[in-house]
Amino acid sequence: MSGQTHILLVDDEATLREPLAEYLVKQGFRVQQASDASQARSVMNAFNFDIILLDIMMPGEDGLSFCRHVREKTETPVIFISAKGEELDRIVGLELGADDYVTKPFSPRELVARIKVVLRRAQNGNGNGIRPGSGSIYQFSGWTLKTDQRSLIDQEGVAVPLSSGEYQMLLALLSRAGQVLNRDQLLDITQGREAHAFDRAVDNQISRLRRKIEVDAKNPEIIKTVWGGGYVLAGAVKTL
Amino acid sequence: MKRFLPNSLIGQLLALVAFTLLIAQTINVVLLYRGAQNQKIAEAAVSAVGRITGEVERINDRGFRERRFPPDGNPRMRKSRPNISAQSMIETGQVRLPTVEGRAAVAFENMGVDLRAVEVARVDFLPTTMVNSVIGLGRGRERVHAVGYRDLSDKVDGYIIMSAQISDGQWLSIASAIRDRNPLFVRTLIFQTLVIYLILLIPLIWLGRYISRPLKALTKGARNFSPGNNDPIEESGPPDTRQLIAAFNDMNSRVGAMLDQKDVMLGAIGHDLRTPLAALRVRVESVEDDIERERMIAGIDDMDRTLDDILSLARLGRSQGMAEQTDISALIETVADEYTDMGEEVSFTRSGRITANIRATLIRRALRNLIGNAVKYGKQAAVSVDKDGDKLFIHIDDQGPGIPADTIAAMFEPFARAEISRNRETGGSGLGLTLARAIVRDHGGDVVLKNRAEGGLRASIILNLV
Repeated sequence: MSGQTHILLVDDEATLREPLAEYLVKQGFRVQQASDASQARSVMNAFNFDIILLDIMMPGEDGLSFCRHVREKTETPVIFISAKGEELDRIVGLELGADDYVTKPFSPRELVARIKVVLRRAQNGNGNGIRPGSGSIYQFSGWTLKTDQRSLIDQEGVAVPLSSGEYQMLLALLSRAGQVLNRDQLLDITQGREAHAFDRAVDNQISRLRRKIEVDAKNPEIIKTVWGGGYVLAGAVKTL
Repeated sequence: MKRFLPNSLIGQLLALVAFTLLIAQTINVVLLYRGAQNQKIAEAAVSAVGRITGEVERINDRGFRERRFPPDGNPRMRKSRPNISAQSMIETGQVRLPTVEGRAAVAFENMGVDLRAVEVARVDFLPTTMVNSVIGLGRGRERVHAVGYRDLSDKVDGYIIMSAQISDGQWLSIASAIRDRNPLFVRTLIFQTLVIYLILLIPLIWLGRYISRPLKALTKGARNFSPGNNDPIEESGPPDTRQLIAAFNDMNSRVGAMLDQKDVMLGAIGHDLRTPLAALRVRVESVEDDIERERMIAGIDDMDRTLDDILSLARLGRSQGMAEQTDISALIETVADEYTDMGEEVSFTRSGRITANIRATLIRRALRNLIGNAVKYGKQAAVSVDKDGDKLFIHIDDQGPGIPADTIAAMFEPFARAEISRNRETGGSGLGLTLARAIVRDHGGDVVLKNRAEGGLRASIILNLV
């Protein structure tokens, strides 16, 4: 990446697009605007972008379909901007290979924080870290984690609800099973919404996760602590 | 009376047919019985006429009446001779049978027997004067061959007494036993009734099912009606039932279409209000004054939450994902942790796993609203879980001033807010409690508010575990 980060902002609502572009420029980004998918396509032919901010509900071709098109051609990260807040829409958005999403109305600062996280992940080659492979299912120690529904299910078929932080943490550990991850790495992979995250937050999430999935949270068998190092997911993980 | 009636259509149909059949067969029995009774009397009368005719002819032939047989003679013969007397043997108290008298008179005339009068009466017991003039007794077993006379019992069903006045003014009298010709006929009739009923049963059950099965499907369809999934009910059964089902299916799809329309509209409202809100939110960042900016942000967030609550409330009842077996403890823990992370005082002690069939995202929201209220108005929230039979109670206790008992019901009204709220904070959308209760009711449970004796308010979510 040379110099400024180049952002493509696609949204049909000029009332939102223009002030947002202005704000991002102020934050030191280079911003290209497009008011619909076809305009975005032609702009993409002319420029290289580091990241795309994409509205889902647009007249003509919608954001989801455009995202699919982008994914087929490039590895450029995508953040969805959606007015829909329904859980289902979020899942569908991430299914299509978006890297993150924000729902309207969002805090512009949070958006910038997320842009930075996604970009850092892309640079570190962790691009597909949080981006779930289409509907993968992880099986470990009697548990099943379904990424398409973000649900953790035990041996008896009972769903155990996780907070989004816990979910991200578990997914990070599962996708790198057997690999020791230190707190910084875990933050790097999982940090999304919680911009205030710090080292203790990782320990906190891990201990909550353990209470939910370990037989005895005091003597963890699934998520083990590596002294001085970090955490590792022990045991066999099967990916379906 | 009503509770003895069967509930189902088939049951009522069968009971009705059984009842009707019983009445019809009873009438039949009465008629047949009376016919048989007359027949028996007629038979007895024919024998009596024959015997009297014979006696009259003998008297006419010889000009005098024969001497009686000696006592050691054939007892049957001795018994069967007509009695001869100056008076009619029919006494005034006895039941006269005018029809039989008329027919007997005609019979005598046809046979050329000249009689002055014929009297016939029916008696239950043989008068002592007639014991030597009885016919029709004890001969049953010998007449077994004729159809209908088989198994003739020895039972005698009374007698008829026939007195005939011959030309010299004397009366010849004979008693004739009325024989029970067919003692089995009541049993036969019961058997017959049962056979008819059993034969009717098969088509009746078939008919009943033909009518009631589509009705049952319709009932089930109406009961399980959920706009998200309106598979039409198969049109079957008689034409009017088909029409009913067709009308129901039609209504079903109209309701579905209306709700779809509502969803589209709500989606549009959500989109159209959130986009300008988002634009406003972006512009607010350029406000220089920090305090002013934070206030504006808080205002926008508040609007967003209210909008979200309104949309959720309006969408409730529309199926949003399937309910699944969920660990309630883990769910409560997740919500409690959210509040702890925000610096609120929320305690929950996990007591083993409790599972219920719920839609976790919705129940999570109800919990959030109730715990949010507890920390907002009651400083802290203590969450506990209690199981009673197949009911699950999630209690959220706070340390606040509680709510006057008479305003508790009003708290569930949309946009109601606790007057006594001491906080100066903006009080959310005013839909939190309404939404929480609507969500839990949608799960077949309820939300109840109660002032605790030791102070503070207890909000309880009651869920059915089965």
